[in-house]
Amino acid sequence: MNAAAESPERSALIQRLHDALDALERGDESALRAEIDALAAARTRPLVQGLGRLARELSQALGELPAAGAHAGELDDACARLDHVVAMTEQASHRTLDLTESCRGLVEQLQRTGLDDSQQALLGQIRGQLSEMALAQSYQDLTGQIIRRVAGIVRRVHEGFGALGLPPREDARDPALSGPAVAGLDRHAVSQDDADALLSGLGL
Amino acid sequence: MRILIVDDFSTMRRIVKNLLNDLGYSNTAEADDGHSALAALRSAPFDFVVTDWNMPGMTGIELLRAIRADEKLKTLPVLMVTAEAKREQIIEAAQNGVNGYIIKPFTAQTLEEKLGKIFERLAATA
Repeated sequence: MNAAAESPERSALIQRLHDALDALERGDESALRAEIDALAAARTRPLVQGLGRLARELSQALGELPAAGAHAGELDDACARLDHVVAMTEQASHRTLDLTESCRGLVEQLQRTGLDDSQQALLGQIRGQLSEMALAQSYQDLTGQIIRRVAGIVRRVHEGFGALGLPPREDARDPALSGPAVAGLDRHAVSQDDADALLSGLGL
Repeated sequence: MRILIVDDFSTMRRIVKNLLNDLGYSNTAEADDGHSALAALRSAPFDFVVTDWNMPGMTGIELLRAIRADEKLKTLPVLMVTAEAKREQIIEAAQNGVNGYIIKPFTAQTLEEKLGKIFERLAATA
């Protein structure tokens, strides 16, 4: 007999098997079924215990989520920054288009001043390249569409956090999120004039 | 020839307008989605529509369907200029009666070619 033979689980199992065999031999149907049910319950107990452990771990993890969701507050901020990128590139594209249109006007003025053929040919090339420059600004539409799509995804994730009942932290603005200042988002943004004043105040 | 340019991005409307100008089509108007485009088409006569696909509000494909379903507008030529480049989308546009399809980014030459082709085909069927 080894040590395992003396374990309570093993003797209980042997007892149940004996009882089941007795019931079978007696023809006691209900006792037999009770013994077999008890045997089955003993077999499934580890599974039930495992599920219980998983459930505890899950609820613990859910309880910890608000901490993990600390970045949720930054998602709104990130969306606003992406929107700002779209607006900024749109502005820059319009500025470039203004200038190319103005240059084309200047080229037309030059063309009317009685230039020779080779000069006219050069102006023709400049005009053509100004058109290409204007067309290249279509990047703003294409990148803008992609940025809007990404911002949409980020907003949905943010809403997902909200649906989990995890409101974003108000103070989640991460000072490590650096880059160009965005009006209305970066409270400490300063202008060049402010910077100059600050520097001269520091003796520079 | 009066042309309506429909795109939600003002830069793209301006680029298309400039290109059309270069090609000699200087009578243009702009709309920023399908709804405002339909309103414009119903309030003044137009001969041609250049539209984007992906727009908030009413999309370009919805605009195309609305034009084809409108007794007064249904023969209006529509050129789609869009970043949507999936096969199924091009097929969908064709099935809904689009006259031409240009994928962004595009060149001035592509626009000229497609416009020429559309007018050629319209002249042949007229």
